Amino acid sequence: MLIRLLLAAIVAGLLSGVLMTGAQELKVTPLILHAEQYEGGEDTHHGNVTPLPGLSRLAQFVSPVTAAHAHGDAEAAGGILFGLNRFGGTLMANLVTGAGFGLILLAVSLLTGTGITLKNGVLWGAAGWLSFQFLPAIGLPPELPGFPAADLVERQTWWIATVVLSALGLYCLVLREAAWAKALGVLLLAAPHLYGAPQPTDIESNVPALLGAEFAVAALATTAFFWVVLGLLLGGAMDRFGRAAQ
Amino acid sequence: MAAQTVSTTLSLSGAQRFTVALSALLLGVFLVYGAGLANSAVLHDTAHDTRHSYGFPCH
Repeated sequence: MLIRLLLAAIVAGLLSGVLMTGAQELKVTPLILHAEQYEGGEDTHHGNVTPLPGLSRLAQFVSPVTAAHAHGDAEAAGGILFGLNRFGGTLMANLVTGAGFGLILLAVSLLTGTGITLKNGVLWGAAGWLSFQFLPAIGLPPELPGFPAADLVERQTWWIATVVLSALGLYCLVLREAAWAKALGVLLLAAPHLYGAPQPTDIESNVPALLGAEFAVAALATTAFFWVVLGLLLGGAMDRFGRAAQ
Repeated sequence: MAAQTVSTTLSLSGAQRFTVALSALLLGVFLVYGAGLANSAVLHDTAHDTRHSYGFPCH
């Protein structure tokens, strides 16, 4: 029973990750590749886009995505796991991310005692999207390579805090009846934005603003698709296998 | 006998439910952290496009 629940979440996440990879190829990935052509101003640590030799160059022919972009300083130590090409790396990362989000969604459902079903799967997906993508994006919009940004650790800290507070806020606002809980929910949702996300001091960028605007919308739309699919698949799986937990 | 088996497999006690929830949460956070946030050059390069499309703070 226990393993079956975890497996249902992982399988729903993996399938969503596969579909996400397809959806990314429509708009998000082409925009990232386009932006990388402008990357590499002297104020960034990114190197120029250098194709990797050998296998990954060959892989260009079977993939719509060019060989690993490899940022300047990361290139020496980095590279893609298991010698995959860029598309393979993205697919693998999407699978891992999908499984992770699926498990988190299951955990929240069990902890709050609110079942995920095919019927309410879209709402669960929407809550995940709001917590992990949309609300953090108010302070830190999805960024293209080459965009100016504040210190990475500060941004990650703010991002994690915002995700946790947003999820707690949505729980208080949506799943609790009491007026004080709803008020607390609004406060929790607003808190990270009242505090403010870390912003770069210099907003100069070589990347055209038009690409940034297109990317922000495309990234949020694509992740919305991912979360709706994940919510529906997990809901369907729980309807079948997870009745007991609901 | 058969009915009893069915009822035990279909009911999840509070403690069991909490155990599953905690395992799912820890594993899920571990996976999302590894793909989205971990400060490793290899993980970053592998997950680069994923990190950007999900809006994870990157670079």
